[in-house]
Amino acid sequence: MHQTEQEHLIDMINQIAINNISLGDDSVVADMIAGHVKKFWPRRMKVILNDYVVNDGGERLHPAALLASKKLSKEG
Amino acid sequence: MLQYFDPRKDYGTPASLSEKLVTLEIDGVETCVPEGTSVMRAAALMDINIPKLCATDNLEAYGSCRLCAVQIEGRRGTPASCTTPAEQGMKVWTQNEKLAKLRRNIMELYISDHPLDCLTCPANGDCELQDMAGAVGLREVRYGFDGENHLDAPKDTSNPYFTFDASKCIVCSRCVRACEEVQGTFALTIDGRGFDSKVAAGQNESFLDSECVSCGACVQACPTATLSENSIIELGQPEHSVVTTCAYCGVGCSFRAEMKGDQLVRMVPDKGGDANHGHSCVKGRFAFGYATHNDRIKTPMIRDSIDQPWKEVGWEEAISFAANRLKSIQSEHGRESIGGITSSRCTNEETYLVQKLIRAAFGNNNTDTCARVCHSPTGYGLKQTLGESAGTQTFDSIMKSDCVLVIGANPTDAHPVFGSMMRRRLREGASLIVADPREIDLLKTPHLGNALHLPLRPGSNVAMVNALAHVVITEGLEDTDFIAKRCETDAYNKWRAFISEKRNSPEEVEEITGVSAKAVREAARNFAKAPNAAIYYGLGVTEHSQGSTMVMGIANLALATGNIGRDGVGVNPLRGQNNVQGSCDMGSFPHELPGYQHVSDPIARGRFEAAWGVSLDDEPGLRIPNMFDAAIAGQFRALYVQGEDIAQSDPNTQHVEAALKALDCLIVQDIFLNETAKFAHVLLPGSSFLEKNGTFTNAERRINRVRKVMPAVAGKEDWEVTVDLANALGYPMSYNHPSEIMDEIASLAPSFAGVSYEKLDKHGSLQWPCNDQFPDGSPIMHMESFPMPEGKGHFAITEFVPTTERANRKFPLLLTTGRILSQYNVGAQTRRTDNQAWHDEDILELHPHDAEERGISDGDWLGITSRAGHTVLRARISVRMQPGVVYTTFHHPGSGANVITTNNSDWATNCPEYKVTAVQVEKVSQPSEWQKDFVANHQRQHKFLAEATVAAASEE
Repeated sequence: MHQTEQEHLIDMINQIAINNISLGDDSVVADMIAGHVKKFWPRRMKVILNDYVVNDGGERLHPAALLASKKLSKEG
Repeated sequence: MLQYFDPRKDYGTPASLSEKLVTLEIDGVETCVPEGTSVMRAAALMDINIPKLCATDNLEAYGSCRLCAVQIEGRRGTPASCTTPAEQGMKVWTQNEKLAKLRRNIMELYISDHPLDCLTCPANGDCELQDMAGAVGLREVRYGFDGENHLDAPKDTSNPYFTFDASKCIVCSRCVRACEEVQGTFALTIDGRGFDSKVAAGQNESFLDSECVSCGACVQACPTATLSENSIIELGQPEHSVVTTCAYCGVGCSFRAEMKGDQLVRMVPDKGGDANHGHSCVKGRFAFGYATHNDRIKTPMIRDSIDQPWKEVGWEEAISFAANRLKSIQSEHGRESIGGITSSRCTNEETYLVQKLIRAAFGNNNTDTCARVCHSPTGYGLKQTLGESAGTQTFDSIMKSDCVLVIGANPTDAHPVFGSMMRRRLREGASLIVADPREIDLLKTPHLGNALHLPLRPGSNVAMVNALAHVVITEGLEDTDFIAKRCETDAYNKWRAFISEKRNSPEEVEEITGVSAKAVREAARNFAKAPNAAIYYGLGVTEHSQGSTMVMGIANLALATGNIGRDGVGVNPLRGQNNVQGSCDMGSFPHELPGYQHVSDPIARGRFEAAWGVSLDDEPGLRIPNMFDAAIAGQFRALYVQGEDIAQSDPNTQHVEAALKALDCLIVQDIFLNETAKFAHVLLPGSSFLEKNGTFTNAERRINRVRKVMPAVAGKEDWEVTVDLANALGYPMSYNHPSEIMDEIASLAPSFAGVSYEKLDKHGSLQWPCNDQFPDGSPIMHMESFPMPEGKGHFAITEFVPTTERANRKFPLLLTTGRILSQYNVGAQTRRTDNQAWHDEDILELHPHDAEERGISDGDWLGITSRAGHTVLRARISVRMQPGVVYTTFHHPGSGANVITTNNSDWATNCPEYKVTAVQVEKVSQPSEWQKDFVANHQRQHKFLAEATVAAASEE
């Protein structure tokens, strides 16, 4: 069951997406996810997430989570 | 005449809550009391003390001893003052020759069958029978002592904490009534009639074998030495007492610590306690022996590696060793490579200082607390919906509830004193709905009225709460006025559309929850139609992958039915540990400064920066599970843990152990060498709650004083150690007393602005928010508005998402974990007391059907395997379980209950999913590999500890 830190973070952000899927379309859900990550995740986890999206394309992310990650990257 | 209420005095009968007053005359003096007050109580309030034996003011009047007879103008005979209500214009005489003779005759009969060993009796100095003999002037017993009597009646010494000496019993029934009225267990009865009548436990069993839960209510009620604490028998009567707060569960009971010098003789629940009103449980009342246990760590210790013996050192050397390690790790690996964990067992002031140390001296926000693994979803869910991360009510509020919905909580075991209050209200006629996979004991409350059990499958909470809300909305049972006035309209309309969808109906979710749609509809209707309906919930709600969603679902249900903002209603999280509410309030979470102020808020952060004289990080820090991941990745290298045993309490033990082993420096501050300390490099002796000053905040936001009754075993209170560590790190901290820390908290956390030790001493306790707006605190929250935009409550969309932790062919059963009455959390305290008599090992409970399928009998050793690990426990076959669900506790470290729980966690807060683990169970003949390693490491680490003591002794 061992997961790398990156794998764990991917699961975590996808879980946020799935649990808030009824809020609206992917863009609305992405706003919620980005707000949540910004408010609760430490700098280190944000960096790992960003690295994953930038380096690996973020293909294992839920579409709304990927959108949120890109939004967070843009905001820096 | 001035009437004042002294909670320590026994007024004979309970207070009347009537607002109508009646005026009467007692012994020629006029007085005025609420209608319904007994003559006995009316007299006692004037300090006219009528003799009594069977009456005491926490029990309803009984009228059996006849000692309290009085004369009343215009009435025949001598009515009992305890059962006679005061009436307008009544004239009462409590003393005259006729009454004196009557009382002497009664006492003479009692004493004719009572041992005359007063000088050697344990109750000598605290015996109501002796006092009454003196009060009535008994001088002779004309009947002699030769006839048939009870003087040779046997003693029952089965209970480890108290003795029942039947020879001293006067059959006043106070113990029996206390067990019924106060505790609600009905374990005692009067067996036989007339001369043969006697107090019996259970079906004439010993106290230990009966249903007695050892709460101590009977011992407290007994007016003689019949029921005496063993500590009183051994040590004699205490000579002074100090009121303090229990350090066990989140009820936060007030106790009188009764002392001989600095030796604690007994803990007696304080009648003036606002949370417990003079009641207690087996833990708070009796299980305090751990504080003086031989296992206490009394000297600081250090070592370079966890494979080395400990070295005993002085405080200065230990603090300097720890500070140097922390500084060197930060200089090599960066500011964020270290962090700390605050304790929910320590005081508010201590918790505040630890998070301050981390934020100000470590220079990062890597602070977290054990609430992460219990009620963090409560903090998140209630903040999102009601605007404040706390329960809305007082405990007393339940006495005005008409319907009580209990979800994922087991109050009679985990919050026993509140459980007793709940049972009292249920006996009075409130209806009960329990949503829980197990048939909890609350459902077996004697004289329970309308009760409904919704035995849902683990992991289906959100589907259940959505179905309840669906019925409320689609059957038009919502409180439209409340919603219109008090809630956000847009959010309500969106939620209403969502919850009304057919997929949320009881019929559609029946397959998910396993509960019949009919029962769910009935429960929803009962809840919505009750004038006052209240929700109580526990870790069965929060410790799920949808813990936060479920908390929001509960808030939605309360908002939709208008059950917020008054007595008798509300959303009530039953907090686990004594100060878990306080540890959250004090800024233990990595994203929030004290008073739930986000670290990114420049105004709030600026005030802390100005007060603390440093710049603070505006990014949240690592949560406990993130710390573990980062440690295994080699990026997080040092941890300071105060009063928390993460190695035993956190899920997926092997993952936790790997993280702790990866640390370069682990500093543990604890009263024992706990499981976490076995991985530590610095061991700092902690102080028990009896050895320090401070405050705890209970589940109803009540801030209660903790008062020092004995010196700290290693010379320092916990807050002093944190101060020393901060100073050694170069961040100056200076406080003379915890009251100064509270003053600093009040200056920085708006909801605590009005709190001070002076005010706490004056009021007894205060419920936050306590500030200019609420100078005397806030018993009920959200009465007028919510601390939300425009003051409106927010309905949250609560989509049901099944957990990924599902049963399959390989792991066909679902394990859920919980607690038991006699043990507390990781058991570090209660395992070192006689509470072991009730639960000396963790057991796996399983349904007879699952047992039969696997050929399992009671007592068999069972291997339990999950996706995370494997452990071995003994079997108990129980119909309390549903087929397909197994249950265990985690009070004993060698059980390895958390070896099998997984890393699954709540989506919003990372609170672990302790309540759902897919497992397989089979008969085995030997312990698991982890258990074998555990035993070996346990022996090795205790050898290291013993070697440290020997080395220190030889140096001397």
